[in-house]
Amino acid sequence: MSQEVEETLKRIQQHKGVVGTIVVNNEGVAVKSTLDNTSTVQYAGLMGQLADKARSVVRDLDPSNDLTFLRIRSKKHEIMIAPDKDFIMIVIQNPTD
Amino acid sequence: MERKVELERKKAKLQALREEKERRRKEKEQKDLEEAKTGVTVEKDTRKDLDEMLSSLGVAPVSEVLSSLSSVTSVTSETSMQTPDASLAPTLNGQSIKVKKAQALSIVQVQVTNIQPKENVVYTKQTQTTSSGTHHELRDAHATDYYVLTFGDAQGDDEDHSLSHLDHGGFHSKLPPGILPHGLPTVKEVAPAITPQEYKKDDMKIAKELSEEQKQMIILSEDFQRFVLKSGKVMERALSEVVDIYTDYIGGSESDEGLDEKSSARLSLNRVFYDDRWSKNRCVTSFDWSTHFPELMVASYHNNDEMPNEPDGVVVVWNTKYKKHTPEDVFHCQSAVMSTCFAKFHPNLILGGTYSGQIVLWDNRVQKRTPIQRTPLSSTAHTHPVYCLAMVGTQNTHNLISVSSDGRLCSWSLDMLSQPQDVLELQQKQTKPITVTCMSFLQDEINNFVLGSEDGYVHSASRHGNRPGIIETYEKHLGPVTGISTHQNQVSSDYSHLFLTSSIDWTIKLWSLKDTKPLYSFEDNSDYVMDVAWSPTHPSLFAAVDGSGRLDLWNLNQDTEVPTCSVVVEGAPALNRVSWTPSGLHVTIGDESGKIYVYDVADSIGVPKIDEWQRFGATLHDIKMNTNEDFEDIDKSASIPQQPASLTGTAVV
Repeated sequence: MSQEVEETLKRIQQHKGVVGTIVVNNEGVAVKSTLDNTSTVQYAGLMGQLADKARSVVRDLDPSNDLTFLRIRSKKHEIMIAPDKDFIMIVIQNPTD
Repeated sequence: MERKVELERKKAKLQALREEKERRRKEKEQKDLEEAKTGVTVEKDTRKDLDEMLSSLGVAPVSEVLSSLSSVTSVTSETSMQTPDASLAPTLNGQSIKVKKAQALSIVQVQVTNIQPKENVVYTKQTQTTSSGTHHELRDAHATDYYVLTFGDAQGDDEDHSLSHLDHGGFHSKLPPGILPHGLPTVKEVAPAITPQEYKKDDMKIAKELSEEQKQMIILSEDFQRFVLKSGKVMERALSEVVDIYTDYIGGSESDEGLDEKSSARLSLNRVFYDDRWSKNRCVTSFDWSTHFPELMVASYHNNDEMPNEPDGVVVVWNTKYKKHTPEDVFHCQSAVMSTCFAKFHPNLILGGTYSGQIVLWDNRVQKRTPIQRTPLSSTAHTHPVYCLAMVGTQNTHNLISVSSDGRLCSWSLDMLSQPQDVLELQQKQTKPITVTCMSFLQDEINNFVLGSEDGYVHSASRHGNRPGIIETYEKHLGPVTGISTHQNQVSSDYSHLFLTSSIDWTIKLWSLKDTKPLYSFEDNSDYVMDVAWSPTHPSLFAAVDGSGRLDLWNLNQDTEVPTCSVVVEGAPALNRVSWTPSGLHVTIGDESGKIYVYDVADSIGVPKIDEWQRFGATLHDIKMNTNEDFEDIDKSASIPQQPASLTGTAVV
């Protein structure tokens, strides 16, 4: 099963334009990362906070609602965040064209 | 004058008063002195009296007793009370008493009064500073330091000596920040926003110290794996979605050209499904489409000879909706999977018929790729390869029908795969078992179905009725039948008696259940025709693939001589299976090396026109007429090979 996990992460990483993949636990610690340590810690901390905030915004607007996906489009990258109960997956992608 | 006199008199009076006062004071002093002296003497006298009294009673005098015994357990309580604390008591004199008195007065009273107010001030002052001291420089200070600091501050003005034992090194430097916010109430507003963040940072710093082992533990945990698999899929879909929301329409008009091109291509390759690990070198053996999720397609694969360590049988679920190139799910089992289908009424279950004869059941909710259930390998079930698998019935009563190559048909309940509900031996002329290669149920039928066999015969059969089994045997193909497809479309009139077969003899034949002779034989291919499939939406359209990599679409209303459109797959791989998407706008084909190609069918071909059903009726009629003529021709000159006449002219009318 852990092999499958590796496969999945590898596939994502090999996808065209993907710069990095990070899996963060609910304490904001990177469990898996393809980036260097400094960027990982930075992304893990900041994106964790952002995801938490986004989730609370969504929940505040409608308590029966929940955050499922967060996409940030910037000039340089696109950052995609898939939050879950215990973990957050962050993928940083360069624009495809 | 009078006043002067009076003043004089008053002065005298005052003087007199003063003198009186002075005198009294002196008297008092005198008296005090005398009293003190007499006090001592009285004491001495009483002691003498006591001694005398004691000696008269025959007891030793007090002084003797006290000197001989250091303990104070004398008979008389008065003595012990008078000299309570000192062993020197018996040798008391006036001087010693005086010294004693002075000591007691000076020390004890001062200390008591000094300590009392100090504590009161501390507590009030402390609460004040805490409430205003949210300035976060102070937060970093240790709790004890903080306490000392304010304590010193409070006591600084009152008592100096009380601070002497306290450490107040940072006292002066830290005092200003502690006091400043006190005077600025606006600071309070800012402070709470900082504090949670600070807490978080602290948490992070603590949590960051996860060791490699702990990380490994998390990675191996089931939660983590479930998360990665789930989010990974979502992420892949998101990644492969290449819609650019910042398209600039002011720029050029490239998109228009693209559209033109697309509409002109009647059959264009959309995408290829291929997985290096799971489908490489594996022949695609069957397809099925999910009824719950029309975009999901399951494909079964044969074994990979180059990789003997990989499982023989593989089933992959592909998603045609998203542009991701990776499988949605992968399942495998020990034996090559020859046929597969979704359990029509259970969105999560996938069934496979294997080469060994087992029927296996996978569940995509379970986090494992191996079957969750399988049928036994026994004489009660299949012991030969299961080439045909179908779900028939309705939501409440449905069965899985499987046919193995030894002609045994089993029907199963999904709830109990341990033994078949029903077994039927399909035999030709009651003796010879039919080696079934393909099967298709008539649309909306649970009873009647058609079979293709290895010896080239085509049969119709039924599961129930007076004589369950083979009903009719049709004229034969010259080689094994590879594919069979029943007509799918009954919008206006009933064509469900029609079915198509493909064969290794290079032909595709169109049949009607009512006729043992083929209605028509399509002989345009020059290789083994491996599969054939009616369009699910168009009444006169079908697709066929052959061993030379050719995909043909035949629209019988347009032409019966040559395919309406035809494409050779790049690299000309031998194509094994063909299937339509439920929408009828895409054709998927599987080749022998594990690739699945999805072709877009242009709307002009795939979407039926309103009169298509009527025209198909006419076409069928013409076909029948022509075949009759053909047979007449053959009767006339038996040596001339069958040469189907062109139907184009009549069909279009």
